[in-house]
Amino acid sequence: MKHTVTLLFLVLFFAVPAGVLVLISLAPGWRFPDVWPAAFSFSGIAFFLQQKEQILSSLASSFVFSLLTVGVTFFMCLVPAAVFARNDFTGKAVLEGLLLTPALVPPMTFAMGLHYFFIKLSVADTLPGVVLILAIFSYPYMFRALVAGFQAMGEHYRICARNLGAGPFLILWQVELPLLMPAVVAGGSVVFLVAFSEYFLVFLMGGGRVASFTGMLMPLLASSNRSLAAVLTLIFLLLPVGLFFILDLSVMRSFRKKGMA
Amino acid sequence: MSWTNNRSGRLVSGLAPLLLPYLVLFCGGVMLTICQSFGVFTPLPHAGAAFDAYAKILTDPAFFTSFWFSLGVAMVSAFCAVAAGAFLAYRVWQLPAKLANAALIYKIPLILPHISVAFVVLVFWSPSGILASMAHSLGFIQTMQDFPNILYSGWGLGMVLAYTLKGTPFAMLLVLALLVRFDVRQIQTAAMLGASGVRIFFSIVLPRMAPAMHTSFIILFLYGFGAFDIPFVLGESRPGMLSIHVYNLYFKHDLARRPEAMAILTMMFFFAVIFIIAYSKIVQRLDNGVRKL
Amino acid sequence: MPRRCTLIPMLMIIVLPFLLTFSLPARAPGDTLRKTPFAQIQEQARGTQVRWYMFGGWAHVNSWVDTYVAKEMKKRHDIDLVRVPMDAGVFINKLLNEKAAGRKTGSIDLLWINGENFKNAREADLLFGPFAGSLPNVQKYVDPDSITHDFGFPVAGYEAPFGRAQFVFEYDTARIQDPPKTIAELKAWIMAHPGSFTYPQPPDFTGSAFIRHVFYAVTGGHEQYMAGWDPDLFAQKAPLLWDWLNEIAPFLWQKGQTYPKDSAFLDTLFSRGEAAFSMSYHPPHAQNLILQKAYPETVKTFVLDDGSIFNTHFTAIPFNAPNKAGAMVLADFLISVDAQLSKYIPENWGDFPALDMDRLSAQEKSRFQAVDLGSATLQPGQLAAVAVPEIPAAYLEALEQGWKEHVLDK
Repeated sequence: MKHTVTLLFLVLFFAVPAGVLVLISLAPGWRFPDVWPAAFSFSGIAFFLQQKEQILSSLASSFVFSLLTVGVTFFMCLVPAAVFARNDFTGKAVLEGLLLTPALVPPMTFAMGLHYFFIKLSVADTLPGVVLILAIFSYPYMFRALVAGFQAMGEHYRICARNLGAGPFLILWQVELPLLMPAVVAGGSVVFLVAFSEYFLVFLMGGGRVASFTGMLMPLLASSNRSLAAVLTLIFLLLPVGLFFILDLSVMRSFRKKGMA
Repeated sequence: MSWTNNRSGRLVSGLAPLLLPYLVLFCGGVMLTICQSFGVFTPLPHAGAAFDAYAKILTDPAFFTSFWFSLGVAMVSAFCAVAAGAFLAYRVWQLPAKLANAALIYKIPLILPHISVAFVVLVFWSPSGILASMAHSLGFIQTMQDFPNILYSGWGLGMVLAYTLKGTPFAMLLVLALLVRFDVRQIQTAAMLGASGVRIFFSIVLPRMAPAMHTSFIILFLYGFGAFDIPFVLGESRPGMLSIHVYNLYFKHDLARRPEAMAILTMMFFFAVIFIIAYSKIVQRLDNGVRKL
Repeated sequence: MPRRCTLIPMLMIIVLPFLLTFSLPARAPGDTLRKTPFAQIQEQARGTQVRWYMFGGWAHVNSWVDTYVAKEMKKRHDIDLVRVPMDAGVFINKLLNEKAAGRKTGSIDLLWINGENFKNAREADLLFGPFAGSLPNVQKYVDPDSITHDFGFPVAGYEAPFGRAQFVFEYDTARIQDPPKTIAELKAWIMAHPGSFTYPQPPDFTGSAFIRHVFYAVTGGHEQYMAGWDPDLFAQKAPLLWDWLNEIAPFLWQKGQTYPKDSAFLDTLFSRGEAAFSMSYHPPHAQNLILQKAYPETVKTFVLDDGSIFNTHFTAIPFNAPNKAGAMVLADFLISVDAQLSKYIPENWGDFPALDMDRLSAQEKSRFQAVDLGSATLQPGQLAAVAVPEIPAAYLEALEQGWKEHVLDK
């Protein structure tokens, strides 16, 4: 009984909105006071098909800059996370706190200061500009995940591999990275989601030159044809879910193959 | 001596991939914001005195209204999200393994971008929305004007709803990550000793979840305080959130008002930093107090 | 050991942005374009990309650009059109930023612009031109007298006409039989029906136009403002407008505590029955939404006897447009007979042509006459009878500023 209530609550607050979006996408003329749409039509879907090139290309662009952000944050954090997990030094706690602040303070506060200089350096309105600003805002999630990953792994694997004669690069690539995979996936998913769903920073640094799915969606939210906005929101939901599903599956499989899971 | 040098050298070079972008982009970005608020490095040469922008803002009552309004919206929504998130996480953690997979639907709003969550709130809570339609068909209201004014009350309730809906699963995620390592036998022992469910939750589970709750509160509060996406969709004409105020100063006026936008951002930044420090200090003190007991 | 490991990611972070910026395409020279024959410009633009920054709040307009215009540009000129949604005030700010930062090549090729944004852009010298005179379709089909001024500011060839708009109100005959006929009747109606009228928050185009209608009506007509900006006149007349708006505010939707952010939001309120009237700058807009099934079929439009403002909207090219030739080809296509006709059809958009009908051939003319504007749209004669011109841009800005100060923040 207790568990049913819990699940019912979760469904009501988290799944029903998604269900309602499906209804809206199929019923553009749904009006007060109908609790159930009076008529269904595919005009929202037709609208989507009509504009599919623009929508798909903005989706692709969002996908690319989000994945690049994941990549950049990974390279930024990998070695520092190892250093952090394995060394004690004075001021470590303070430094950790400082390094986490970009995810905490409002991103506007540093992004807008940088904007004019990104324009001067011709980095504004380019893909690297967008990726850089997203990376500086989202790397703390990757950093924390990797530090936790290195701590959980301990030093034994590395010492063992070194004693067997492996060089540092080989150790990192062949021994530590596979073991670190769950942490990379965890941190990477958060970074991906943060980048993928951000509207303002991409608008600011992309200047319309770097297309984004949120930028595509924004003007539609207030429009009187809500179907298209609902369709796009559903796509938004399905894409990361699909991605994580595949990722989860492939990571798990590779682990099982190695007999680690 | 050379050993220490070598070691700190290695530390610095090891941390460099992170420190370098941190110093250049983050610290540099904040510094540039501060400089521009004083009229230095602005696109247009600044004519007035260094503190002109601050003087202008701090004498404008609309700024303070916006500030307290942003603070209130962020505080209420972060509190609701953390409270709901912690409670739901506890209940989800108790679910039998078979049902645990079904509970994963809580991640839906986590995946949706903020603007989509705002859209969902709009669809449900507007006076002609789904809840109003339901209230009508149940006979609670006759016309849509009878529906309680949620979205445009001047209290930012629409934004609170959206931030809470988006923040609750986030708090759940962080709390669940802690609970996974929690030994269920502690609860069983307490129950055997006769503790009630409520007592168990507040005396045993809650302290265990507290670190994750504090972290999520800080993150959600500061996000709600300074973010742009949700207010852009759900904001009312007045009072406006600070981020919208900054956006309007930055984009909707000529460049002469740039220092004002930057001055507000500078104050937002220092507010955020002071909040983080103060909050962690208070939590630390409370923790020490508890331990001394 | 760590030194070697850190070197690669560090290099990547530093070098990446620069590598990518240097690979941007080469730019066409802008200054010589004005003297180049148009056929050569078309040749030069072939195979390029044109980025058109425009207001993105109207879904049907976006869809017309993405489908009809993009396909035709590809087919006729081998040009890839990219539409970028951005508010006019924001892209002007972007150009100001770029000018101040000394960027010779920006990212915007064409702008959709008029009114105070055009004035601000011209005053800050943000536009390339004059170019409109060298577009063949402007030479052939447009009456030069119809495009001398934009909100009282001289156009001087720095923008090319794109369409003509006239303000109408929208209502649902299923709910209201007798819509108000004058501003005074409208006020009486609002007071008698609390909570069901509102207007988009200026500086939204449509909301801003609404308060200008009231301004004309309560201060004795538009003629007095046509001579240009007169601060004394404004100071003397504007309080009448603030009084009128503040008197109706308690009777507005949400008691005037809040206003719809833009006209699309008002359309939504109207289509969902929260607001009794909507308003649009495009007379066939209601018909368009009926065809989209967003409005019920019983929706009709009306104008007030006090006058209905009309204006021309334009396209312009920024000073640092990377592809000025392509932008000119697009601007020329947009004012062509085919594009203007497609734009006129209510299913597509319903924006009035900016062409001079007397310059069209009989056959071209009949194509326009054959367009069915639908039952919701007023006849051209009805619209022409009440048409009044736009106010000079300086008044518009003062009204928008004043609205915030005297009505919203009151």
